[in-house]
Formats: sequence, C-alpha cells, structure tokens
Amino acid sequence: MSALPESARVLHAHLHLMDRQVVREVDGRLLCKVDDLELADRANPYVKSILAGPLALGPRIGGWLGRLMVGATELLRPEEDPGPYRIRMHLVSNIGSAITVGGDPEPLALERWVRDHIIGPIPGSSGERPGKHSGERFDEHPAGHPGERPGKARPTHAGPTRLADIPDELRMSHLLDRVVIDPSGEVAGQVADVRLVQDGPLLGEATQALRVAGYIIAPSHTGQLFGYERARGGARPALVSAIIRRLHRNSVYATHEQLDPSTPDGPLKLRTPRDRLLSLTEL
Amino acid sequence: MKRMLAVTLGILTAIGGFVDIGDLVANAVVGSRFGMSLAWVVIVGVIGICVFAEMSGRIAAVSQRPVFDLVRERLGPRTGLVNLVASFAVNLLTLAAEIGGAAVAFELVTGINYLLWVPLVALMAWLVMWRVKFESMERVFGLMGLALIVFAVALWKLGPSWGELAHQVVHPPSDEGVPTYLYYAIALLGAAMTPYEVFFFSSGGVEERWTRKDLATSRANVFVGFPLGGFLSLAIAACAATVFLPVKAVPESLAQVVLPVGLGLGTIGLIVVIIGVFAATFGATLETALSAGYSLSQYFGWQWGKFVRPLEAARFHATVLVSMILATALILTTIDPVMVTEYSLVFSAAALPLTYLPVLMIANDPDYMGDKVNGRMSNTLGTFYMILLIVVSIAAIPLMLATKAGQ
Repeated sequence: MSALPESARVLHAHLHLMDRQVVREVDGRLLCKVDDLELADRANPYVKSILAGPLALGPRIGGWLGRLMVGATELLRPEEDPGPYRIRMHLVSNIGSAITVGGDPEPLALERWVRDHIIGPIPGSSGERPGKHSGERFDEHPAGHPGERPGKARPTHAGPTRLADIPDELRMSHLLDRVVIDPSGEVAGQVADVRLVQDGPLLGEATQALRVAGYIIAPSHTGQLFGYERARGGARPALVSAIIRRLHRNSVYATHEQLDPSTPDGPLKLRTPRDRLLSLTEL
Repeated sequence: MKRMLAVTLGILTAIGGFVDIGDLVANAVVGSRFGMSLAWVVIVGVIGICVFAEMSGRIAAVSQRPVFDLVRERLGPRTGLVNLVASFAVNLLTLAAEIGGAAVAFELVTGINYLLWVPLVALMAWLVMWRVKFESMERVFGLMGLALIVFAVALWKLGPSWGELAHQVVHPPSDEGVPTYLYYAIALLGAAMTPYEVFFFSSGGVEERWTRKDLATSRANVFVGFPLGGFLSLAIAACAATVFLPVKAVPESLAQVVLPVGLGLGTIGLIVVIIGVFAATFGATLETALSAGYSLSQYFGWQWGKFVRPLEAARFHATVLVSMILATALILTTIDPVMVTEYSLVFSAAALPLTYLPVLMIANDPDYMGDKVNGRMSNTLGTFYMILLIVVSIAAIPLMLATKAGQ
C-alpha cells in the first residue's frame, strides 16, 4: 500500500493541472488550456499527456453543446478519426500558475486555419509588432523555428500530436466526478479530485511520470473543493473557506489500491469500506 | 510626467465602467430624479471595484494570469462557460451602445444623423485595436476622457446650494417608490463593478508586462483611476440635480446630459464636454471590444493580446473583428443605445459573482501568489462584497421587471 506521506512531488489533478493555461517555453506563447489529461497503463495509471482542443473539452462540457463541439470538429477536420491535440508530459518543464512546455509544439488546428484564411490576408497582420522594446520573454524565435513558417505543419519531436481518439477510461475527466460505491454496493460519494505523485515510470530522459496515487471522495453534489480542504495555513477568506470545509467534512481519501480497478465504466468500487478510509482532515 | 502616464490604464478602465454612454445618461437621470440620495451607492461601488481590481492587478503582476483565465481554472469548464456567455453578452451589448454613443457625440458637433457616423466610428475603433500599441491607446483615450472633469467645473460655476445637495444625500425624494430607488441603486452598483473592467484591467497589466516590480504601478492605477471615475459620475449627477431636479425635468438624451455644462460654462464648456464624451464612449468601445476578445481567448486558452503581432493571435483578433461587426449591425437597427445598456444588467447579474469569486480565491492561493496573497483587509472586504454581489444578482432581474427598468 502506498505510504503517506510520499517524498516525491504531490499534485492534485483537478486543482493543479486541469484547466490551467499551457505556455510554450521558448517564447512564452499561449498554446491552449489543459482541457483534459491522458492516462496510460490501466492497472497502475499515470499521466501520459495533456489533451486540448474541442475534442478534449467537448466531452467535459457535455450536453448538446459538448456534442456540438465534438461533432463540428470531427466534421471539419480532414483526418479519418481525429483525436484531441496532445502534448506529452515529458515536455512539461514547470507546473505553476501556468504549465510550461518545452520543445516546439505547433499551434492548434483552428488557430492555424484562422491565421491563414482570415487574419493573414488583412493588411498589417504581420506588420511591425507593436512595441519594439518588447521584453526577452516574447523575443524572436530562434532561427529555423517552425513557428516562423505559418501553415507548414510538420511533426515535431513532441511526437505526433494527433492520434486517433482516446478511449474514455484513459481520460482524467472520466475519473473525476465518477460515482464511488462501497463493497456493499451503497453509494459512497464521488471522485472530487485525483491525487498524483511524481514517482511513476520514467518519461523521456529524466522526468518521472505523475502516478495516480489515490482519490478524494466527496459526498455527492458538494461541488468543487477549490483546495480549501487541504489548508496549509496562510490567510484565506474565512467565510468561503468555512462553507467549503463544512460541505466537505465527510470527504475521505482512498488510495489507488483501495479501489477495484476492474471497472472501466459505471461506478468505481471500493475494496475497503468507506468508513475505514482516511478522512480528509487527517490527510 | 512618466508617473502620471503610468496610471492611464486605470483611468481608461474606470471611464469605461463609470461614465460610458449608459452611465452618462443613467447618472444624469439619477441626479434629476433622486438628487444626491444615491451618492452612497457610487462610493460603495468605487470601494468594491478597487478591492477586486487591486486583487486582479496583483494576480496579473505576480502570476501573469488575467481574470478570465482564473475563472476557467477555478470554476471549471461548465460554470466558466455560464460566466463566459453572460459576460460576452454584456460586452457585446455594451459595445453596441458605446459605438452608438461615440456616433452621437459626432452628431452633436455636426448635426448629421448619428447612424451615418456609426460605421465610421466602428472602423476607427477597429483600426486602433488592429494597429495602435496598447500603451498609446490607453494614454490617448484615458487622458482625453479627463475632459469630463468639466462637469465638476460647471457644477462649481453653476453655484448650487451646497447645503441643499448635502441635504439630498440622506433624504431620498418622497415621490419616488422604494422599488425604483432600489432598481437605480443596483444599476449604479452594477455599472461601477461591471466585469469587463477587471477583464480589461488585468489583461492590460499583462499587455504592459507587469511583474512583481510593478505592484506599486498596479496599485496606483487602481487607487487613482476608479475613485476618479466615481468622482466624475457624482459630478454628472450633481449637475443634473442642480439644473433638472428643481424643474422636475428628466434628461433623456446625451444632448440634455451635457446641457448643464453649457449653462455653466458656455460654448467652450460644451466643446470640452463633447470631446470628453467622445473619448469616454470611444474608450469604452475599445475596452468592451477587447474584453470580448480577452474573455473568449482566455477561457479557451488561445494566444491573445496586442503584445504579439495579429498573425500570432489570430483567433483573438478574429473574435474582436466579429464582435465589432455584430455590435455595429445591432446599433444600425436604430435601437436606442442607452436602452441596450439597461438590458445588459440582466446578464451582469450572472457574471458578477462568477467573476469576482475566482479572483478572491486565487488572490489567496500561494501557488499563484507566493507571499503576495491577500491580507486580512482584502479578504474581509472581498467577502463582504461577494455577499453584496450575490444579493444584487438575485434582486436585479425581479426589480427590473417590477419597475419596468426604472420607469
């Protein structure tokens, strides 16, 4: 059983990764949001890549609007079986208020299309950049950077960014919000966040993968956690904090081993009864 | 001089919030019907927007993350989308009204119908956003908007009974109903704290590449810009209270709003005030059009901003262009610009709490802020205003229906 506390870096998928801005390291350009995360290895899952674009966001929005996003994208994309835009995790060089990625991932399909067909043809679109004194952060690309040749997409050492679609059970969003049931079959709550520990298999040369270590299970319909249950002191608006803590007073933590992995669909099943799990306040 | 120019972002932002076309008229209407009895709302609004603009400016300086980025990050894609739709609607409706307002300023000067000026104003605004540096843009229109200070000068020239104005502050007129009074209170508070102000302000901070070293600049922008906006708004109301209230007249158009300045200062005053009105509405056009681009791009994580070439922020510029076209089309239907801003209040109701809650949360998150997290004062005021905004957003629509938008 994975021991607490872990010495490796601990992150929470929902709180620290999902919906953060992705920034290209070389020039500070904004690429996309972390619309979803792709997992690998069903038995001992770890985060393999960042997923973005309408094909990743659509299913998370859900409803007719989500289906419309996915449907329209599939219709317009030239590939036979298009998948979401993806960035491999080993390219991630920093996780902070934004996710910084190295290499030179190309912009998303829609950006390239709008650039080539709408904005590009308008006079002045490529003219002198406003502000000659621009900081180093946004300085010229190094020579030969693919970003300087609009429209010429080519695979980069990021690996192919578009593969066929990714099955639901390998998407982080599929784990979040899933219903969890007790061994007895009773509903124990739903997954509010996924705890990740950076001690998974090696990705690339030196980075270890973020392994799925456990799940924060909240009573159904208590809403988001916002990180307030994992207080590390410091000032915070007392009232907001108190409300969220009260809503989550019955939240528990289950390690990956305490859940039955053989349920790719439907509710996740606990191996250990809910009342024997660690309470969040003990974490 | 350099220090003075550094606060133009705050001035432009505040002008777009407090004295844009809807508020120019709304302030005058309030002054002529309620005297100065709603002045306290403007003060409450100024403090509220200062609290949250300070937080969002600090977040932008420390983490380079603008407000709508935070909305999506903290509220997730679904709730974030609710806010995006509401905010985008507010932006678009306000944008249409501002284009109309700037065109009316031209009509006042030339006598040529404002509808003929609408396409020209829209084209000018788009060219500014397409080509002009962010800093030049904010300086020109921020400083030009200061011409509205002429309302304060005119008030002094009109020589009102200051004792009477002070008396009005605590004595609402008895012939107006309580629901109408509350409706205008909410409309004024909503105008003071419109979400696009923090979208524009925090994105502007990123456009100007604020870092931790610029925290003082950010703060100066907040504490000069927004109180100035509130001051202008009060001056307009006081002018109307002096000229229109005693004769029981209610100004209905921009031409009547600027009338007290003409009475106090003559032709020179009128010229200055029309320059000010143009700068304020044109500045608000830029603010709302860019905010439309900012909010959509930041929700989806697209490259945005004027700090890169348009070619490198293609979806952002396409959003701004499409918003301009839609807003121009809307105002060309001859719809009344002032009425349009009244309806945007409905959408503000959803957007207000969903915008300021994530700001309050991130401003407390050491992952983003390091040692620059909120102090006790910011959190106390922030929580108070969160409660207030929730009350406002619940009450706004019923009050609007009950009073037929304050009639």
